[in-house]
Amino acid sequence: MTLLSVRGVTKRFGGLTAVNDVSFDVAAGELVGLIGPNGSGKTTLLNILSGLADPDSGEILLDNVPCQGLTPERLAHRGVMRMFQLTRVFRRMNVIDNLLVAGRALGLGADEALTRANALISELRLDVIRHLDAGQLSGGQMKLLEFGVCFMVPPRIALLDEPFAAVHPTMKEIMGDFIRSRHEKGQTFILVSHDMPVVVELCPRAVCMNAGAVVIDATTREVLNDPRVIEAYLGGQAA
Amino acid sequence: MAPSSATSPAGNRSGAQLSNTKTTVEFRAALVAMAIVALIPLGVSNPYWLGVLIVSMYFAILAGAWNLLAGYTGQFSLAPATFAMIGAYTTGLLNHYFGVPPLLGIVAAVVVSGLVGLLLGRAVLRLVGPYLALTTLSFAEIMRLVASNSIDITRGDLGLGVAGLLDSRVGWYYLFLGALVALLVLFYMLLRSKAGLFLQAIRDDEVAARRAGVNVVFWKTAAFAISAAASGFAGALYAHFAELVTPELGLIGQTGLIVSMTVIGGMGTLAGPLVAAFLVYVLSEWLRDVGGYQLVVFAALVVIFARFFREGLWGLARAAVQRWGRA
Amino acid sequence: MSGIDVDLAVNGLITGLFYALMAIGLSLIFGILKIVNFAHGEFYMVGAYAYTLIALALGVPVWIALPLAFVVGALLGWLTERTLMRPLYAGYTSWGLMRDEYAVIVTFGLSLFLINLVDKVVGPYAYRGPPLVETSRVVLGPVLISGHRLLAAGIAIAVIAVTAALIKWSFWGQQIRAVSQNRLGASLAGIDTAKASVIVFMLSGGLAAFAGALLSPVINASPDVGIFPAIKSYIIVVLGGMGSVPGAIIASLFLGVIESFGAVYISFQYRDAFGLILLMLFLLFRPQGLFGEKGREV
Repeated sequence: MTLLSVRGVTKRFGGLTAVNDVSFDVAAGELVGLIGPNGSGKTTLLNILSGLADPDSGEILLDNVPCQGLTPERLAHRGVMRMFQLTRVFRRMNVIDNLLVAGRALGLGADEALTRANALISELRLDVIRHLDAGQLSGGQMKLLEFGVCFMVPPRIALLDEPFAAVHPTMKEIMGDFIRSRHEKGQTFILVSHDMPVVVELCPRAVCMNAGAVVIDATTREVLNDPRVIEAYLGGQAA
Repeated sequence: MAPSSATSPAGNRSGAQLSNTKTTVEFRAALVAMAIVALIPLGVSNPYWLGVLIVSMYFAILAGAWNLLAGYTGQFSLAPATFAMIGAYTTGLLNHYFGVPPLLGIVAAVVVSGLVGLLLGRAVLRLVGPYLALTTLSFAEIMRLVASNSIDITRGDLGLGVAGLLDSRVGWYYLFLGALVALLVLFYMLLRSKAGLFLQAIRDDEVAARRAGVNVVFWKTAAFAISAAASGFAGALYAHFAELVTPELGLIGQTGLIVSMTVIGGMGTLAGPLVAAFLVYVLSEWLRDVGGYQLVVFAALVVIFARFFREGLWGLARAAVQRWGRA
Repeated sequence: MSGIDVDLAVNGLITGLFYALMAIGLSLIFGILKIVNFAHGEFYMVGAYAYTLIALALGVPVWIALPLAFVVGALLGWLTERTLMRPLYAGYTSWGLMRDEYAVIVTFGLSLFLINLVDKVVGPYAYRGPPLVETSRVVLGPVLISGHRLLAAGIAIAVIAVTAALIKWSFWGQQIRAVSQNRLGASLAGIDTAKASVIVFMLSGGLAAFAGALLSPVINASPDVGIFPAIKSYIIVVLGGMGSVPGAIIASLFLGVIESFGAVYISFQYRDAFGLILLMLFLLFRPQGLFGEKGREV
């Protein structure tokens, strides 16, 4: 069953076409890797999918209902959760309150939100720092907290933008386990990453973008062995 | 290491208390302070000092209202005194021209200033930092110019005489105190509810709040409206206390006092600004006789607190208590 | 255009020149630190007092008192930068979210402090500075103007021209512009951004104080005399595009003329409100100003 359908999405900034006629489908329960060299349009595409940018043309269907141009908060309520490349947490609120914000905003009652927050805190091994303000956490801890925020109410689809970048290997392992276990329970993901070994390990399928367009959409093995992908990473356009 | 809290039976409940402890402790401290204030008229009968304390309470309401907007929601408006002025003129004009009784006029003032706050809050939704400060500053100055130049209606800087409400100064004292405590309870309930979470989330990172599903437009506007309505309420009460409304209520210097009290007390804390409002105002009346350097001192304190003690007196007191508790 | 219109236009342009002296500094500060200095009017006030007191109390000739007022303003700017602006860029990373709030509070507090300090130390009475020349009326066709105002306008033009040239062509001017465009990039390229910030504050304080000194024979300096000129400069900086010096100069002249005509043809009482209304409209609908590029938030 198709959960998310991206159809001919295009976005221009002045003369630059950041996303050029991109189309692909994501089925429920899939974990899709989105790869491509810097500037290939991955983050812009995630911005469009999460409501931070409007596409110039094209259509996005979530559960067969159009959702392009909705605000991020509306999309959050529809089940689209986005993790940012540059971690965004509520710096002057403690770890629990960070989680409660998402829980309460997405309609959980006070007790239910607290139960889930505590469960996520132990799953993500944030117990020791649960009462620290988020601004006092290390970069990796903040990432884990952001994971927690995104999964307070399990989203229909989670959009992860470079979750592993500049994170301590131990934390990376916790995140990898977290993604794997959620995926096994049927969670749908799009994972943007430069970390090819992780993509190979986690994602059965990958979409490669270059210069705003989809180069290839196939199994991760095929994608990584495709000459066009190698060309995209090493070729002139990326430089 | 302690076992994971999710497995311990008390985990959930202690978590519930801890995440709200900060607000609750502040609330209790503020209540204690208000209880002390309530006892003062038993020992002090000098109408001058009772008057000083009444004005302190007026400022405490304004500082609390501004703190909700600036300290908890991160919307740095420079128009809090303006909303007090709007509230004062609402009841003042209604009373002066239509003979509307003060109590009704005060209700009207809350509604009108809340509505103006709603509109302004909606208009400045996308503005941050210096842009928001400048827009609200110009709104404040325009409103004051209108009040002082519409001489045919407001009698301009001469001021508009309005009816009194109570004859007894002690009566006024407890009326203001009741209003202050009512607002304190209201803000406490608001901050303990999900609204408190949402407002602080918006302050810390608007984009992250939207990602988490918080209706940022609604809550930012609501904070503006509530803060404006509370300020208008204070202004309307003050109008009937002073039996006079002038454009001076909206002077930028008044906003300066409100900002000073909040910063010195501790932005984003429930008790700090309220207590600081008393300290600053009473101390300044007291210092007035001793050379009159009070405003110089407080302005310097604002700069020093902002520079070195960002959590204000409340933060200093908390740190002191913690150190004392450890020793 | 009738005679009175020419008179209004010329006088409006002259007022605009004094606004420009104020607004250039404010704009440079916004460019380099992305903050609005709410104590800017107090640099102006201090300049007016410095000139008046140096000339009257110490008996120093006005032509020496005038540059001294600039020096006093520059020193105040230096002090402000060193003591209060550091946290805005000196790596207080945990302050990230508080940055805007800190800047507003601390400059607003400084403004209150300086107003009340002068009020206590010098007194709340208005001081009138000595004019540069005693000629009371110069008639140029339909334009009627005092000798001091004409001379002050000439000096203002010269100072604005020199400042603009320095910012455009001098070594430090180029460094400052580089920091305004991209602070991180400039520091990576080896520019001393802290020093650029100090220079901007000194220049900004000096120019505002100079404006206060030039106008002191007209404005009757009192401790709160800087509030309105400061508000005018906020308006100008927004109209001209935050951070743009040519924009600030053009917007200053524009505002001067608008106010001059508005006071006569629309309402004298509300002459100070035109600019404020423009300011609100611009901030709400065109925050990039008349000339600025539309910025994108990522």
